[in-house]
Amino acid sequence: MTSTKKSAVVAGLAIAGLALGACGGGTGAGTTAGASGGSGQEVKTIKLVAAEYSKDHTKAFWDAFAKTYKDKTGYTLEVQVVSWDNIDQQSSTMIQNNQAPDILNLNAYASYAKDGLLYDSDAVLPAAVKSDILDTFVKYGTYQGKFYGFPDLSSARAFFYNKTLFKQAGINEPPKTWTELEADAKKITALGNGNVGYALPLGPEESQGEFSMWLFNNGGTWKDGDKWTINSDKNVETLTFLKKLADEKLTQNNPARTNRADAFDLFKSGKAGMVIGFSPLAGALDQDKKVDYGVAPFPTNDGSESKTFGVTDYLMAFKKPGNEKAVKAFYDLYYQPDQVNTFIKAEGFLPVTKTGVQQFQSDPKLKVYLDTLPNAQLTPTDDPTWDKVKLAVQQNLGGGINGSPKATLDKLQQTAENGG
Amino acid sequence: MTESSTVTPDPATSAGSGHPRSRMPSRAGRRRGAGRIGQVHPVVALLWLAPALALILGVVLYPAIKLFDASRGEYSITGLRKGDAGWGNYVKVLEHPDLGTVLRNTVIWVVAVVAITIVLSLALAQFLSKSFPGRRFVRWAVIIPWAASLVITSQLFVLLYDYNYGIINHVLQGLGLIDQPIDFLGNDSWTMFSMVVVGVFVSLPFTIFVFIAGLGAIPDDVMEAATVDGASPWQRYWNITLPLMRPALMIATVLNVIYVFNSFPIIYTLNDRNPGYAHDTTITFMYKLAFKSQEHDVGMSAAAGIFNVVLILVVVGIYLKIINWREETSR
Repeated sequence: MTSTKKSAVVAGLAIAGLALGACGGGTGAGTTAGASGGSGQEVKTIKLVAAEYSKDHTKAFWDAFAKTYKDKTGYTLEVQVVSWDNIDQQSSTMIQNNQAPDILNLNAYASYAKDGLLYDSDAVLPAAVKSDILDTFVKYGTYQGKFYGFPDLSSARAFFYNKTLFKQAGINEPPKTWTELEADAKKITALGNGNVGYALPLGPEESQGEFSMWLFNNGGTWKDGDKWTINSDKNVETLTFLKKLADEKLTQNNPARTNRADAFDLFKSGKAGMVIGFSPLAGALDQDKKVDYGVAPFPTNDGSESKTFGVTDYLMAFKKPGNEKAVKAFYDLYYQPDQVNTFIKAEGFLPVTKTGVQQFQSDPKLKVYLDTLPNAQLTPTDDPTWDKVKLAVQQNLGGGINGSPKATLDKLQQTAENGG
Repeated sequence: MTESSTVTPDPATSAGSGHPRSRMPSRAGRRRGAGRIGQVHPVVALLWLAPALALILGVVLYPAIKLFDASRGEYSITGLRKGDAGWGNYVKVLEHPDLGTVLRNTVIWVVAVVAITIVLSLALAQFLSKSFPGRRFVRWAVIIPWAASLVITSQLFVLLYDYNYGIINHVLQGLGLIDQPIDFLGNDSWTMFSMVVVGVFVSLPFTIFVFIAGLGAIPDDVMEAATVDGASPWQRYWNITLPLMRPALMIATVLNVIYVFNSFPIIYTLNDRNPGYAHDTTITFMYKLAFKSQEHDVGMSAAAGIFNVVLILVVVGIYLKIINWREETSR
């Protein structure tokens, strides 16, 4: 008796424990009670799921935007701001439950276009807006001949160096070639006191970004036309060079397992000589006023003209019955110069429109990025396969630092050719 | 063995109401007169059971059905269901090249955290059940790791462990114990150890309090009798305290196994810099399958989730079997 009763108690506890565990696991599924309208009828309320670029500005901007939108068009915009950590998971859950928002702000779009979930520009983007968007971004936003990936903002990477450390190490100007970069990194590392020459983040957070910058500046690509070129000789040479930097201890400890945020922290603390940064890092450095830094074009392997790696995020429109007009009104308003550029300026990113580039030209700090922006190279975001390849790169690229660069890239190439 | 109404922590008793409650009335009823129970109208009975049933249906059954349903579907990377996958997702999970590593990590993680927690808690509970000045404050302090959110605790440990600025490396270097900082989270030989430390840290409070309650339930006269009979402190502990603590030990072990097995934030946070699955347990494996890995497949992740539930049920079942078997044989 005693023992059966006891095991009943324990079994009950076990089930309760599992149930609680299950609760903790499933986040957000129920929070998306959306504005999915009735079929055919025109929808008066649409829902935006936006990514949080900053605590201070993102929500404030979208709330103000929703008010203007209501005043000007009569439609209501429900805004849900989600952190970058969660947005992928949340959007996936929403679509799984047939509760997609009308507009979703994310860093990928091609898979959604492939699944036939999105409106293309013909349906919802005013023609004047389309012709104002920078050609590069139209190109990378186009999937199978149709423009789906409408950019909300962009960023371009640049080379950041610590002027104080450069001076201490007796270096007069930022490196132009990789050989110079290596030599400079040696001098800075030789200063001791925990200083590292080059902060190299190849951890799973953003390794595809770091590697893109390097491989573009060695004349490499991820994809050339319809062919994946991940394991091209150029790219193997690039990763081998990075491995060399790591082996010579010119980087921070364990670059294969350093996330971008940690590399930035290192640079912000004044302990790193060089890092690949972008305008938000500059903003943070300006605020801290701790590090005297310079921004320069990224050095190339052979000293030829530097290329930059550009990134855009997207505002994509989901096909839902009756929401076409409201969605079109949304884009019409968002791409008004006083809206889109206000947003971009507050978040510290770069413009996506030709008028925006002109407007930002007046800021001398942004010049180095703006000059390169129209020719920026992006990752192949227009290929749905890339959405999976990107994840594979994030998880596996670091392996090339501890193991064989060629084998790592061969494996990624295979993943890409198999369709992710 | 006294039936000593097992030292059940409150939240658990009330949450697990389904089973124990339904048995209790029959015992109480017998005392008062057996016939009455049957006379309650079924509708009334159902009314009383409704909250519990609703809870079980809504919180356990419905998600379980949805999970099973998802595990049989084929999903696009966007989360769109494209069709039925049959048992394909299960096969894919079983054929995953890293499954072996993940299972091994899970065993190490659960066994290490639970075993170390139990041993430490036994000692600490013994200490905290003695009276000394300031005991109340020490007991409060012990609760803090439990009260803090796991994500916050984990993030705190990330800072403590940091290679460049972490205070642990700072202290070890200051004491001259190491020349170079230790990469607690990035070095494969240290990562699991570092995570287990945090796991033990957050599991201690609950376990200690279960044991304090268990110690408090041991009758003083038994101890007195043993002392009079000349038993040494060690003999008293081994032959009286520990056997009487068995219900508490059992509860603490089962609940800790479940909590630790299901623990997500610690591993996810401390391991986020490491690529691949080298230090993942089945829980973080499941999450990464759905959202972080190149598979990015909700269906496959749901199948992994089903395996997780089965796995923990089997483990708990085996444990209970062993415990019962011991009880039978010790009589």
